[in-house]
Amino acid sequence: MRDWRADFHLHTVLSPCGDLAMSPATIMARAAEIGLDLVAVSDHNSAKNTPAWRDAAAARGVKALYGLEVRSAEEVDVLTVFDEVEAALAFGQWVYAALPDIACDERVFGEQIVVDGQENILGFEPRLLISGIEHDLETVCATAREHGALVIGAHVDRGVDSILSQLGWLPEGLAIDAVEVTRYTDEQALVEAHPSLAGVPMVRFSDAHLPADIGFQQTLFRVEEPSVAELKLALAGLDGRSALPLRRALSDRS
Amino acid sequence: MTVSEMAQALGLKAVTAVGEQQIQGAMAADLISDVLANGAPGQVWLTIQTHRNVAAVASTQDLAAVVITGGREPNNDLIALANHESVTILLSNEDTYAVAGRLYALGVR
Repeated sequence: MRDWRADFHLHTVLSPCGDLAMSPATIMARAAEIGLDLVAVSDHNSAKNTPAWRDAAAARGVKALYGLEVRSAEEVDVLTVFDEVEAALAFGQWVYAALPDIACDERVFGEQIVVDGQENILGFEPRLLISGIEHDLETVCATAREHGALVIGAHVDRGVDSILSQLGWLPEGLAIDAVEVTRYTDEQALVEAHPSLAGVPMVRFSDAHLPADIGFQQTLFRVEEPSVAELKLALAGLDGRSALPLRRALSDRS
Repeated sequence: MTVSEMAQALGLKAVTAVGEQQIQGAMAADLISDVLANGAPGQVWLTIQTHRNVAAVASTQDLAAVVITGGREPNNDLIALANHESVTILLSNEDTYAVAGRLYALGVR
């Protein structure tokens, strides 16, 4: 059993809002530099940079997991994290099949770039990735779980694209393992304002779109191995596993 | 104007029992958090949102009715909860803007 410093909310150049500097290679170099040792990619509605993520992580000795940030029909963002690239790609295909066929206007939204682990450009994703897909939140979470994912409600306290903003409160019985809290909110205050979150495990990640933000917030996982199954035990606080969200305020940024 | 009078005047399709409550205004919103913050008793709520939490917030805010616009179909979870909470759910093939304009013209302010 050991502690892993984890960040599961990282956007690459595939996300239209991701900075052009956010190649998997650059992200892994930064992760290694700041002592982040467990990272998952979470581009909007696409897993196409997960092979690059795997290769770049291997080159830097950082443990990688693979996912995507799905936007449901209600425009609720959900982080999904898989053990293997293949599982993320398979789930990514299900998501892509339900993504509205709207072209990405790069002048407005930015480019959506598929790369390899050495920063070579493999292609451009033509379809706008930030649309809500046609499946509702319940279906997204249940299907991600069927594919083997860890499922996390993204930036739950945010005024847009979150469970709370779109749906008012956490629906009962939703197939999620945790909710992510932003740097702006305290866990206790959040539960007091939103009682539906009482007892729901909370995590903190960076939601980095820029290199300087990588690992800005992290969660410390104590697990036997960095697998989805172990992470679920940690979030549930079972068998000596644990998950500790580490909050940082904007003023902490160095 | 009552909810059933509105349903008739706008040609709305009912997927629940239709109430006879007096309408006290209306709001258009797709974020349930917005309705939690700003919804008032007796209002008609126009939305494209079809999650079952729509019925729950309509009940807690004591809204007169919900009109789901744009030809969207509510799922069975929403209809079941609406029936349980005695919330009126109506459907329109017109978009929110058009329904709002027609409601305004009918004198709903």
